[in-house]
Amino acid sequence: MAEMKRFECLRCDHRYMAEYDRKVTVERTCPSCGSNSVKLESKKPAKKPAGNTNTASAKG
Amino acid sequence: MNNEELRVGVFVCDCGHNIAGTIDTADVAAFSEGLPDVVAVVRNRYTCADPGQNEIKKAIAEHQLNRVVVVACTPKIHEPTFRNCVAEAGLNPYLMEMANVREHCSWVHFQDKEAATAKAKDLVRSAVERARKLEAQEEKSFPVTDAALVIGGGVAGIQAALELADGGHQVYLVEKQPTIGGNMAALDKTYPTMDCSI
Amino acid sequence: MMDVGRHPKIKTLVNSEVEEVSGFVGNFRARIRRNPRYVVAEDCTACDECARVCPVAVPDEYQQGFSSRKAIYLPFPQAVPSAYILDMENCLGSEPIACGRCAEVCEKKCIDFDDQGEVLEVPVGSIVVATGMKVYDPRMNDEYGYTRFDNVITSMEFERLICAGGPSAGHLVRPTDRRTPKRIGFVQCVGSRSATRGVPYCSNICCMNTVKQTLQIHEHYQDASTTVFYMDIRAFGKGFEDLYRRSRDNGTRYVRGLPGNVEEDPETRDLVVTVENTTTGKLEQHRLDMLVLAVGLEPHKGNGKKTVDEILNLSHTSDGFVLEAHPKLKPVDAPTRGIFFAGCVEAPKDVKDSVTQASAAAARALNLLGAGKVQVEAITAMLDTEQCIMCGVCTRVCPVNAITASNKKQKQFPSIIEAACAGCGTCAAECPTDTIAMRHFSDAQILAQVEAILAEDRMSKILTFACNWCSYAGGDMAGTSRLQYPPSVRLIRTMCSGRVDEKFIWHAFRLGAPLVLVSGCHFSDCHYIDAVTWTQKRVEKVWSRMEKLGIRPGRLQLEWISAAEGQKFARVMRELHEHLHRVTPAEVEETIRILEKQPPVPGRSKTAVAAATA
Repeated sequence: MAEMKRFECLRCDHRYMAEYDRKVTVERTCPSCGSNSVKLESKKPAKKPAGNTNTASAKG
Repeated sequence: MNNEELRVGVFVCDCGHNIAGTIDTADVAAFSEGLPDVVAVVRNRYTCADPGQNEIKKAIAEHQLNRVVVVACTPKIHEPTFRNCVAEAGLNPYLMEMANVREHCSWVHFQDKEAATAKAKDLVRSAVERARKLEAQEEKSFPVTDAALVIGGGVAGIQAALELADGGHQVYLVEKQPTIGGNMAALDKTYPTMDCSI
Repeated sequence: MMDVGRHPKIKTLVNSEVEEVSGFVGNFRARIRRNPRYVVAEDCTACDECARVCPVAVPDEYQQGFSSRKAIYLPFPQAVPSAYILDMENCLGSEPIACGRCAEVCEKKCIDFDDQGEVLEVPVGSIVVATGMKVYDPRMNDEYGYTRFDNVITSMEFERLICAGGPSAGHLVRPTDRRTPKRIGFVQCVGSRSATRGVPYCSNICCMNTVKQTLQIHEHYQDASTTVFYMDIRAFGKGFEDLYRRSRDNGTRYVRGLPGNVEEDPETRDLVVTVENTTTGKLEQHRLDMLVLAVGLEPHKGNGKKTVDEILNLSHTSDGFVLEAHPKLKPVDAPTRGIFFAGCVEAPKDVKDSVTQASAAAARALNLLGAGKVQVEAITAMLDTEQCIMCGVCTRVCPVNAITASNKKQKQFPSIIEAACAGCGTCAAECPTDTIAMRHFSDAQILAQVEAILAEDRMSKILTFACNWCSYAGGDMAGTSRLQYPPSVRLIRTMCSGRVDEKFIWHAFRLGAPLVLVSGCHFSDCHYIDAVTWTQKRVEKVWSRMEKLGIRPGRLQLEWISAAEGQKFARVMRELHEHLHRVTPAEVEETIRILEKQPPVPGRSKTAVAAATA
């Protein structure tokens, strides 16, 4: 069953809602920058990303 | 095969100005000499041309090469060429590797010659490392079903079907509409001969 | 057409569609569905008795709707096969109370209302795709008043009006009053060469088709006046310039400029065309009896149903036509071996070029069929049963069904059908115990490339996995187009992105790769059907594991780049070059420290890893 989930673009950091169905793998494209590096947003980051903390939020 | 001593030959192609116009191929060739198991390095103006291919064959015999790295263009064009070339020299065609320094380097970085040359060296290093791990392979052949499927019964499909059938092969001509003929059948006359379309 | 109908070696399957194609070069299997015709074509004598009694009249598609046909009809007199067809959508029905008259009068008793069609499977060695194109529909943009003014017609409609077999028996008449038009105008590039209306490319045939039509008019009606409104006349082919000159000599006026406005005189139904003649720079008005729109050609688009292109996994160039294996050297070959193109499916072309290309495609196919055998590249999968835990993953992920299922209870290992294996490597990447190895794209070979790339100056490099068919070729396209991008990318070619094992990615990060890109075909272009979906699932898995371990997921990027998308390839490389500079040495060092404590593939079950490393 499809449900609405939050996605984050690992290229431009854009976040958006889109349909998600665990059983169906579809090609995902960021509506803002057109990249395919689109990841289902995790509920809570387990650890703070290592290294330069600025990088994670840097706008592409 | 595992105990065999590796003897790698690197063949750097200028491709006229296509590669050498951006990349310092002499520098790349000199660099290649220092890579592990490389025993021969040859620079050519056009490696894919007969003289270039002859250099490869000659070097295979002269240096008992058992791996060949061709530093030139995309394997999508000349991999078959160089596979044949090394096979003619008695080497298994799968022991040939290409480094694509034209489509993926000289043509896309001609504004920065130094960086392009550095990248080319990296691509050669990667190709040589891969070549050192290559193994001989035997291609298998499979029988071909003696029939063809032509999808679409317009003028192109009709012509293709006739050619194939006249060649003596079974043809299945599939057309979505209830008749063949396609768009051409709806035309009155066709240029340049101004004759009937049907 | 007739030659096809009577050729003993051609089985013509009309009213039929290809539903599925499996297999590989030399050994395809096609499933073809024959849609119901409701008339037994072999028995039909085309006597026309059925149509005579049929009470239903609907617009005749062949005559562009200028005349009507019955619900049971012959598409056109020269149709092959010469057999009637029943259009069930418009038929009243077979019950005597409803109608059923055609069946009553048919002497041969060849009308079968219960026809269900049939499905047949044929084995073939080669496939020629000649699915053609479609004609631009001027209704979409109400081109030059086409939907409002009846005397504005398309070039296809003109063909029927001038044809002896047409609705007016070859007498050119205008639709509103059936009078022979004296002043006929033609508008070129309708739906072509426009960024906003129709397609941006030149449709190739329309100039010469108009030249031909002006000549036809003058052949029939010496007193007619013809005017062509155009941007450029493209008369580039053999004999074309001669025809163009003949058309001018016959008195056809060529006005450089496309009409800005078309109005209809409500009384006479004449058309008043306003156009800027760009040769003189003056605004002109032309009063015409009839205006013909030289409509362009477009690629077919799917409407819900799977198209032939989708069934065969054919990629497209940006104009929507199929992508060739090489634009110059293999212009009739599909990137998939054993499949060839003929006609307008590849690009708009005229009859002569279609015939030429069809002969070329047939010659390519004949090569293959004539040889009788085909050599398959030695890039297939190999299975070493010693480490196999019979988990069934390989069988499940194989896109070409080349791995037979294992059975734990019966201690039956999976096995690889080499003739069917296409070498994508998805099984090898997904196998949890490294039981499957790929010929010529082995783990050792790929890992050696990863190591070589990261040996020196690693912070300046984007380690990229690219699939042979699409993203690698997209990189080639960027090169051929001389698109410039930063020199930070280092490609490792695999046949399919499905080959990119998690351990390659982890190994790269362990060796200090700042940024890794996995790239492959768009889902619709994947040469291994759905192997690319496994790539995405795997990358998603790695992202989530990276997050758990405290490694920024953005350092693993994913991109689908087709062979035609050189522009996209260059853009992605520019974008990632920017990203590269945001990865700090400290971040990379931290990642190395984190991964030191992890198994080769973090998160992979211990037993599997133990088996893999045993």
